Amino acid sequence: MRVVAQLVAVVVAGLVLYILWFNLSNNLRRLGIRTDFDFLSQPFGVRIAGSDLSPGSSVREALLNGVRNTLALAVVGLPLLTIIGVLVGIGRLSSNWLVAKASALFVETVRNLPPLLLIVFAFQAVILRLPAARSPITPFGWLVISNLEIHVPGISSGARASTYQLILALSVVSGVVIWWSRTRVQARTGQPHHRWLWTLGFIMVVAVIAYIALDRPLTISLPVLDGRVITGGFGGLGAFFAVLGALVLYTASHVAEIVRGSIQAVSKGQTEAANALALSNTQRLRFVVLPQALRIALPPTINQYLNYVKNTSLAIAVGFADVTLIAYQAIGNGQPAPQTILILMGCYLTFSLVISAVVNVYSRRYRLVSR
Amino acid sequence: MATATMPARARPGALHWIRKNLLSTPINGFLTLVLGTMLAVALVALIRFVAAADFTILRVNLALFVVGGFPRDQLWRVAASASVIAAMTGLVAGLVWSGTAARAREAGLPLTPASSLVQISRRFWPLGLVVAVCLGLTQTPGPATAVASALLVGVVANRLGRAVPSGARRWMWLLALLLPIAAYLTLTTSGIGWDQWGGLQLNLFLTMAGVMFAFPLGILLALGRRSSLPIVKGLSVTYIELIRGVPLITLLLLGVFALGFFLPLELRPSGVTRVLIAITLFEAAYIAEVVRGGFHAVPPGQTEAAASLGLSAFQTTRSIVMPQALRATIPAMVGQFISLFKDTTLVAVVGFPDILAASGFANTQPAFNAQGLARITLPFVALAFWAGCYTMSREARRLERRLGIGER
Amino acid sequence: MPTSVDGPMILMENVDKFFGTFQALKDINLVVARKEVVVVIGPSGSGKSTLIRCVNRLEKHDRGRVVVDGIELSDDLRRIQEVRRETGMVFQQFNLFPHLTVLDNVTLAPRQVRRMPRDRAEDLGMSMLEQVRIPEQAHKFPGQLSGGQQQRVAIARSLAMQPKVMLFDEPTSALDPEMIKEVLESMEELATSGMTMIVVTHEMGFARAVADRVVFMADGQIVEVGTPEHFFTAPTEDRTKQFLAQIL
Repeated sequence: MRVVAQLVAVVVAGLVLYILWFNLSNNLRRLGIRTDFDFLSQPFGVRIAGSDLSPGSSVREALLNGVRNTLALAVVGLPLLTIIGVLVGIGRLSSNWLVAKASALFVETVRNLPPLLLIVFAFQAVILRLPAARSPITPFGWLVISNLEIHVPGISSGARASTYQLILALSVVSGVVIWWSRTRVQARTGQPHHRWLWTLGFIMVVAVIAYIALDRPLTISLPVLDGRVITGGFGGLGAFFAVLGALVLYTASHVAEIVRGSIQAVSKGQTEAANALALSNTQRLRFVVLPQALRIALPPTINQYLNYVKNTSLAIAVGFADVTLIAYQAIGNGQPAPQTILILMGCYLTFSLVISAVVNVYSRRYRLVSR
Repeated sequence: MATATMPARARPGALHWIRKNLLSTPINGFLTLVLGTMLAVALVALIRFVAAADFTILRVNLALFVVGGFPRDQLWRVAASASVIAAMTGLVAGLVWSGTAARAREAGLPLTPASSLVQISRRFWPLGLVVAVCLGLTQTPGPATAVASALLVGVVANRLGRAVPSGARRWMWLLALLLPIAAYLTLTTSGIGWDQWGGLQLNLFLTMAGVMFAFPLGILLALGRRSSLPIVKGLSVTYIELIRGVPLITLLLLGVFALGFFLPLELRPSGVTRVLIAITLFEAAYIAEVVRGGFHAVPPGQTEAAASLGLSAFQTTRSIVMPQALRATIPAMVGQFISLFKDTTLVAVVGFPDILAASGFANTQPAFNAQGLARITLPFVALAFWAGCYTMSREARRLERRLGIGER
Repeated sequence: MPTSVDGPMILMENVDKFFGTFQALKDINLVVARKEVVVVIGPSGSGKSTLIRCVNRLEKHDRGRVVVDGIELSDDLRRIQEVRRETGMVFQQFNLFPHLTVLDNVTLAPRQVRRMPRDRAEDLGMSMLEQVRIPEQAHKFPGQLSGGQQQRVAIARSLAMQPKVMLFDEPTSALDPEMIKEVLESMEELATSGMTMIVVTHEMGFARAVADRVVFMADGQIVEVGTPEHFFTAPTEDRTKQFLAQIL
């Protein structure tokens, strides 16, 4: 019975796959389209805005450039949205009426709009209405803004930057050791460990001393407008900032809800029990409420990170050259659609599977026993 | 409701309220000041913008936003199908009410009164706002008549649903579930297939049809994922995780550009059909996860009790696990419905004339081209989505509370 | 199938049960005669619940034989169903179906498993509810009843299958003291009517008054078996004496 059911499932699934494959190979042969991946080496044929790639570069190079752009959106956006999300989420629970209401207004507005609409709005109604590229504005003196590109302050490395980075890395490693030894001290003697103080203090001291000793290895570089040329700082296309801003706000509104829900989910009984043990307010938050809230919040937050990365594919709507747009343009230029889309899906799947694997390991280790 | 039971207390005074809720600590005072200034500035800017804005682009293109390229001499079909959908909504609400009331009567519980007009307007005001804005932009009496008739039909159907004797309730449910087909036929009998639909109508159609087709598939996948047969389970898990790992846009690209390759060349599905297939395949994986969450909500004791009574695995799933699991999934299903509704805007990217695409079309018309009017059309589109999503998510939360109370 | 009317109702022979590496049951040998009431007592974690859950195969035993009314339990699904039809079980947490009314809870199995027509099933269900003295609750939902009432519905639900054996897994442990009595009374009546019963409980008064035999378990083993008089007045094993000293 069980074996039969499984056989049926295998046969049905196999049949469906076989029919799809049969049609695919048959059609591609009839239409004279190749089924291999050689097209990756052919010229891409389109200039990509905001990159140095020539139109003659291969499809492979163009796709890699797209992956880099997608990752750039992720690397800049994920920390930003986490910070905003946490602040707004806590804000909704604030005792300050105005803060609570403003946070609620933000969440309930942004959360209920399509992310694509937000991106298009950010691009068409905000970025495109900025001054034209030939006459950018420079608010505060450290921003250079036009409807084509936006430049913000960045960090530029001096002569001994790599040495400094090495020292910083070493000090972080030593910091971990200090953290661990302070924990041991507290466990042995019962003295307060002050782990944060010791560790961060140590790292800060090393960082400052090394900074002076190496004669300013890293400096903040401001974008400077010189005629039509902008030098220094960190610059990006307007479309990049439109996608970034819209998606960061959209995802942050979801993270805010998670944060609020997780703090509220730690039951009243837990608070009462902590109070009955005579823990102080900070101790209660630090040892009872926050650890539980964090465990509740982490899996859905990671899920939101995944959604953020998947949503960066909407950059296609405003012409930012993420991997989806590159694939779309490649298909438009006559590259075979099945293989191109397969590669595109593979890119997102790799990212998703890596994050899911991390989440699974985490939830197995830290699963809260329900009830 | 709450105000009636609130004890009368001395008015604490506005000053006291401000001190307690806005200025309790120096930090709070600072936050109030900064945030208050920012909000005030934003509010003033918003009012000035709305007062100065010219809404001609919306007035001229209202039909484009609502129904896209639907033939203008056939618009009565849209109005009629809206009435049919209103009848279904009213009937279902009435039937749910009378069903609950009948059960409460049998169990000797107090009857919960039907929602009053005030409660209903408090629950659905965002939708009312959208309708009011649209009617305010119309230039003909047609839309107002359509809205009025839909409201009337809905109310009548609601009364009917409440008054139905318990024996006939089953048949009325069947009727209610057949009404969407009637609405579909109303739209299509003169040969206006879904490839000619557009605007908000296309978004709504893709959402409803997507969920409808994906639901059975999703339940099968969820059951497969729960199965003790390793191969069935493996196939389900693989499908669900693969689909959930990629963005919808890649599936839409697959549907539009590559679906033809996987089917016999003679079979050329039309554009919207391709999109619908992609959406269904995508949504099924998410619905499967929602249903799985519902299965999780059924305690293992339930299965054990059923087994100890001699129920077979199939009977246990059908009579004990599924009813409870599906009930537990209702709020999450509404959430999934909302997120699909928002996702239907993606069809604009692959070239279908939904409501978001309508904004682009309007902004490239000779009369409105390159005037930056996206800042008027996009907020209009946003209002439609916000009203729908906000109302639905509030209703979902309400359902969650109600379902939570009834249990255990 | 050798269903002898004279043979024992339940036979457990050299039964072992493991959860991973933990051995929950060690070499259990137990024979329950027809119409006999056996009460199983012992400290928590001693394997009492596992023992009765092996009788209707909610747990699968790893070694030995379990025979219920002449049917030996194996992986054969049909035999398992046959045994489950003949055995009723009452759980500590009631496990009523919250989406069904009380009457639907009681009639579900007769209708689905025994294919009984609706009106006959409902007559049967009502008479079962009368037997546990709550016919007036028939149309309510489980969530509206008190714990004691819920547990009596659970008993009625099992009885509606007209089982030959009733298994009780700590039926009063989740109840408030004032509700324990009403449930125990229903169980006592059932015992007097000649039902074969295995009861896992901490209610020593019930054991003394109703049990034909008392089984004491510790660490997955049966330590001592005897009549209530023997058991509560002159236990032989040290473990038993210790346990009784703690609770009496």
